[in-house]
Formats: sequence, structure tokens, C-alpha cells
Amino acid sequence: MLQIENLHAWYGAIEALKGIDISVHDGNICCIIGANGAGKTTLLKSVSGMVRHTGTIRWNKEDISKASPMAVNKHGIIHVPEGRLVFPGLTVYENLEVGTISWHGFIGRKPYDEDIRKVFDLFPRLEERRDQQAWSLSGGEQQMLAIGRGLMARPKLLMLDEPSMGLAPLVVEEVFKKIVEINKQGIPILLIEQNARLALEVSDYAYIMEQGRIKFEGVSKELESDERILQAYLGNFKEEA
Amino acid sequence: MALFFQQTLTGVSVGLVYATVAMGLMLLLRAAGVMNFAQGNLLAMGAYLSFLFMEKLQLSSGLLMVILALAVFVAVGCVFCSVCFLPFKHAKWPQAMMICTIGAGTVIQECCLLFITAETRSVRPILAGSLSVGGFVIPYQYFFIFGAMLFMMTGLFFLFEKMYCGRVMSAAAQNKYAADLLGIPTNLTTMVTFCIVVCMVGFSGWLLAPVYRVSASLSNFQARAFASVVIGGFGSLKGAIIGGILVGLIEAYSTYFTTTYKDVVVFGCLLLVLAFCPQGIIPSGTKKEKA
Repeated sequence: MLQIENLHAWYGAIEALKGIDISVHDGNICCIIGANGAGKTTLLKSVSGMVRHTGTIRWNKEDISKASPMAVNKHGIIHVPEGRLVFPGLTVYENLEVGTISWHGFIGRKPYDEDIRKVFDLFPRLEERRDQQAWSLSGGEQQMLAIGRGLMARPKLLMLDEPSMGLAPLVVEEVFKKIVEINKQGIPILLIEQNARLALEVSDYAYIMEQGRIKFEGVSKELESDERILQAYLGNFKEEA
Repeated sequence: MALFFQQTLTGVSVGLVYATVAMGLMLLLRAAGVMNFAQGNLLAMGAYLSFLFMEKLQLSSGLLMVILALAVFVAVGCVFCSVCFLPFKHAKWPQAMMICTIGAGTVIQECCLLFITAETRSVRPILAGSLSVGGFVIPYQYFFIFGAMLFMMTGLFFLFEKMYCGRVMSAAAQNKYAADLLGIPTNLTTMVTFCIVVCMVGFSGWLLAPVYRVSASLSNFQARAFASVVIGGFGSLKGAIIGGILVGLIEAYSTYFTTTYKDVVVFGCLLLVLAFCPQGIIPSGTKKEKA
């Protein structure tokens, strides 16, 4: 269980997070919804130790507020970054291999064939593209690869930053199905999304962020039918549909 | 005909050295995002070190020399990385790092002149003598150059294509941010890259010392290595190798016509390549890697 209390984060003099309290329970999908610049990505970066922040971040009762990115990874908290950021010059297989670094170590030969098998079973398309360089994949495949690379790290908590970004609607649906499937294997997920409707659909609990603060929170099913939320965040989607 | 073979041989062996220096440039450019202007001085440092060990200290055991040299190169690599890369990692002005390498180059050169020798010296080849086959002569030293360069290239290939840590290193080189998020120790991988490059370039200088004599002007190889990178194609190690050998051959064949102006021929070719084929002979394998 991940618990965040009174989290503030800064970029230089600009305060991007102004006191955030959230918790992610075991086995849940927890989503954070908000517009561009609300501070969603900063929240994940704070957890992974990539941004200057204050406040307490606890992982299963252990304080990881001051942990380095490497230490956070060792705890099994894996951050799949926004915009996928796969390693373009490595093949699909090599990208997956590199994902094991947090438990494999720089030198050594621990076997990871089983992990790769699992990822390929989840994403058969990656197996077809096994020896292609990552830059040649489509956006959806790159997103799958980024998630797969995260899974290779044997996550105990998977943090996904906008997995739907820049993908066609059909592909987004496929990716979200896989996210639910990963969660069913017992891995809790902290999901960040702009696509509010889809995020509420798959998640158990949701937070809505605005300008560095949590505006609303609640069980996703209830938020889905909440008038205020519908107005502010889902309105556009209804008109489009 | 004998002259032609002779020139080809000289060209290829010198070209292999250019290729190694160029590969070093390429590796640093990818791993640290810096064009290393101290590369030539590092090459000269290797030559000076060979003079120090072989002539000044008169060390007798080859193995001892290699181990000592390795230790010096790794130490220089670590210091170089912590002075030129780590402080400027988050610098707003990326050229800061490059300028720092120019400064580091001067420091390395002056240290060699101050502590080892200020005069141009010659060094005994590792194995004196030469092999003569039907009219053309190959000094044994060239075999060492061939062998060592091929060894280094296969070593690099093995490291980056076959080994886990090499893969992690290229991942860190391609995207530092994503690598940090995965828990790759990016500072460590960069430092290892610096050490590997200093070793490669240093030993190349070592092997060149008997052929070119030990002097600070060995650092002029930098410009040719840069030409190799551009001709071969920015961004790929394969390009650096092919470019290096090409530059070596061009230089060797140009001595048919002129020895004084062979630099003009080499850099004239560089200009032609830049004018007609600016992406180089082997364009970079990936689109994004260039960025």
C-alpha cells in the first residue's frame, strides 16, 4: 500500500504540488485525473524520487520520501513514463531485458526468460516484433513495450503515466484491457489519465487533480455518476459520443 | 605495385587507429552527449605513457606495463568523467561540457610535457624489425596495431551486442531519463563509458608511438577522427569504423601525389562529403538516435 501525505513539489521556485494526500490500496487500480499542468506527472516523479519534494511517502509502512530513483525501483515501485520513452536503438527483446536491471544488477546472470515469456503472453504483438528496433514500432506497440518493460522489473506497484497519450481509440481500449489484466494478476496500479471516462471505468478509486491540489476523490463508480464531475470533466466526451 | 600494397597497408593500419579514436568520440557523444575535444590529447597521453614506461622507467615486463597503463587510463577516465560530465549534467547550456573537454585536453597535454618529457622522443617498437614479402616491407609494429584494433572492435561489439551490461549502457545512452526511472545507475554507466574510451584511445596512442614518435602533435589525430565520424555518418559505430579506414586510405594514397598537402586532400574530401552527402556514407540506424 502506497500512502502519500501532504506532498509538496517544486520546479525551481514554482510550486507544482500544493499538498497532496492519496493512497493506493493493495490490488486496486487507483486513477488520478486532471487537465494538462495539474501536476499529475509531478506526483509520479516525486514518488520515483526525480523531483525535489517534501511530505511523506510511505510504501508498506516504510518511509521512502527521500529515496533515490534506484532505491524506489528496488522496492518494486515502477514508473512507466509519459510518452513511452522506449529505448529507440534497442530491439524489443533488448528493451525488455534492460527492464530487469533493478533486481538483476549491472553485472551477473540471473535468468529472466520466464518474465519475458509472461510479457509475450500478455502482449503477443511484441513477440511478433521481437527483433525489431523499438523506434520502428507503432505508438500502441511502443506503449505495450513500455508497460512490458515495467513488468520485467517485477513490480509491486505499477505507475502508468498517460498510457492513452497519442493513441487511436481502438488501441487505447486494447491497452486498457491489458492494464485490467495486469491488475488481475495482483499488481496494484496507479494510473494517470486525461481520458476521464475510460479511467473511471477501469479504476476502483479516483482522485481528481486541479492546479496542484486534489479537488475531488471517491469510488470511481460513484464519481462516474456525480453531476459536478460529469459537468467539469466528462461533458466533452458526451457531446462527442 | 609494391608501392600500392605498401600504401594500402599503411592506410588501413593508420585508418584503424582513426577508427578507434572516432569510435571513442561516437561512444562519448552517445553516452554523455558531449563532443570530446580532448580525444587527441588522450591519444598523445597514451604515447607519452609508453615513453615513460619503456624508456624512462625501463620497465621490463610487458604485462606489468599493460596493467599499469590500464590503471592510469581508468583513473584518468574517472577523473575526466567527474570533472567534465557530472558537474554539467544539468547545465542549461550544453556547450559547457564541450568547452570543459577542451580545457581538460590542455591540462592533459601540459601534464605530459611537464612530468614526462618536453621533447619529441622516439620509442622502441614492441617488436623490432619487419617482414619483407616480395619487395614490400611490413614493420612488425603494424601487426600489433592491426591486432589490437581488431581486438578492441570485437570487444566493443561483444560488449554492446552480447552482454547484459553493454545493453544497459546503450539504454542509458539513448534516454537518460527513462533509464533513471528504470533504476539504471546512469552515472556509473557514463563513467564506465569514459573509462572504456580513455583505454581505447590511450592504447592506440601507445601503439602509434613508435611509428609517429612521441610528441604533443599526436593530438592532431583528433581532427582526422572527427573527419572519420562525419564521413562515416554521425551516430553509428559502424560508420565510424568505415570512415576511419577511408580517411586512412585517402591519406595514404594522396602521398602518391603530395606529402606536404595530404591534409588538404583529406579535409577536401571531408568538405565534398559534407556538400553532397551530409548524413555520411552509413546513415545512422535509427531516426531518433540522432536527436
